[in-house]
Amino acid sequence: MENEIQILTVSELTKEIRRTLEESFGHVSVIGEISNFKAHVSGHWYFSLKDADAVINCTMWKGFNQYVFFTPQDGMKIIVNGKLTVYPPRGSYQLDIRSMKPAGLGELQEAFEKLKKKLEAEGLFDEKFKKSIPSFPQKIGVVTAIDGAAFRDLVSVAERRFPLAEIVIAPARVQGSGAAESIVNSIKLLNEYTGIDVIIVARGGGSIEDLWAFNEEIVARAIFKSKVPIISGVGHEVDFTIADYVADLRAPTPSVAMEIATPDINDIENFINEFLAKSSSNIKDIIETKIQDVSSFSRSYGFRLPMDILNRKTQQVDMSMSRVLQSIEKYSMIYDKKISLLAKSLESYDIHRVLKRGFVLVKQNSKFVTRASNFNKEKKAQLKFYDGEITTQ
Amino acid sequence: MSKKKTKSNFEQDLSRLEEISRILEEDSVELEDAISLFEEGVKLSKSCLKTLKESELKITELKNELGKISQVEED
Repeated sequence: MENEIQILTVSELTKEIRRTLEESFGHVSVIGEISNFKAHVSGHWYFSLKDADAVINCTMWKGFNQYVFFTPQDGMKIIVNGKLTVYPPRGSYQLDIRSMKPAGLGELQEAFEKLKKKLEAEGLFDEKFKKSIPSFPQKIGVVTAIDGAAFRDLVSVAERRFPLAEIVIAPARVQGSGAAESIVNSIKLLNEYTGIDVIIVARGGGSIEDLWAFNEEIVARAIFKSKVPIISGVGHEVDFTIADYVADLRAPTPSVAMEIATPDINDIENFINEFLAKSSSNIKDIIETKIQDVSSFSRSYGFRLPMDILNRKTQQVDMSMSRVLQSIEKYSMIYDKKISLLAKSLESYDIHRVLKRGFVLVKQNSKFVTRASNFNKEKKAQLKFYDGEITTQ
Repeated sequence: MSKKKTKSNFEQDLSRLEEISRILEEDSVELEDAISLFEEGVKLSKSCLKTLKESELKITELKNELGKISQVEED
């Protein structure tokens, strides 16, 4: 009985195989192409690695895959590190993966192109979906890392250009594990928050791996779904991400994104000052015209009508003048001098002195003609000289 | 796509200034109207300039927690 063959249960054998495999291989690094990738709702990943001649099943538990900066896609060539083990219920060996990286930058580039093509075909980049960016935002939503350089830049640009606004920051992880989910969540938060006029999704410069979250499909879809217009400002001028293509507007950097989102306070000040200058001169012109009207009045009816009509008109102009002068002086406008000169010229107005210098007043239909355009060639005209009046034929 | 937001007072004041500026350039404007528009414009200008001078950027932080919005005020 000594040499009797030992009978093992399936479980016992499997246990032995597992021990042998785990002990002899330990941790291995393997290069291969992803196929049948499945991210289970539990957070675990299941897929196969393959090359031309072989395939091996792989698992990557949630605790490890949360550190992977990119979402694996079928066909992507990757290098994994993990432990060879056995899954007893299936009687199969598999790689229990601890870490994963793209086999080269070309892999990411390819994933980028693939997603770009797919989303483009779906119409996510179409101009017709681009929302317009408001010119006077009251609340500017920001999605970025709150302790990052990008956020400091955004704040300083906003402070300089348009401190009237309020910045509402929804902090997000912008690189590494969970970055894409975090960005998506922040975009959602800002959409739920009341009164956000525009959202800036930003990140400072970095490598393609650093910026990868902005190339993830879930980020692209969240940007597309956003009801609030989104400006992207990711990396440097040369960096283009999928987020840039979906965004309503792409800015080359975070700072430029804020410049696009805000009007410049200096421009507004200039506009107001220009308004003051221009409307002061307009009002001056309007008053000058009225002065002419009043002097016409005095010339025409000075001897025939009661003086009080003239006085009333003069008083009306005087009152208007003083109101304007008050306004202008109150706000230290430079035009007060010009207008007070004008006021003086009204007080010292002497029609006779003017006529004596050779001027002529032209009257048609008992009305003074003050503009060439008002002169009717078909009608008789009265010409008033310094020393008398004549009527033309 | 989103429904039209109400304009800020500041933005309303600026577009009113633009409007006044346009009316004052018309030949047909009456003296009394012109004077009161001008006064209104000067008043608006002053309040806008004041707003600009006194404005200070406000920063509100939202907490990025799934399904929850909370906020922290900062100065």
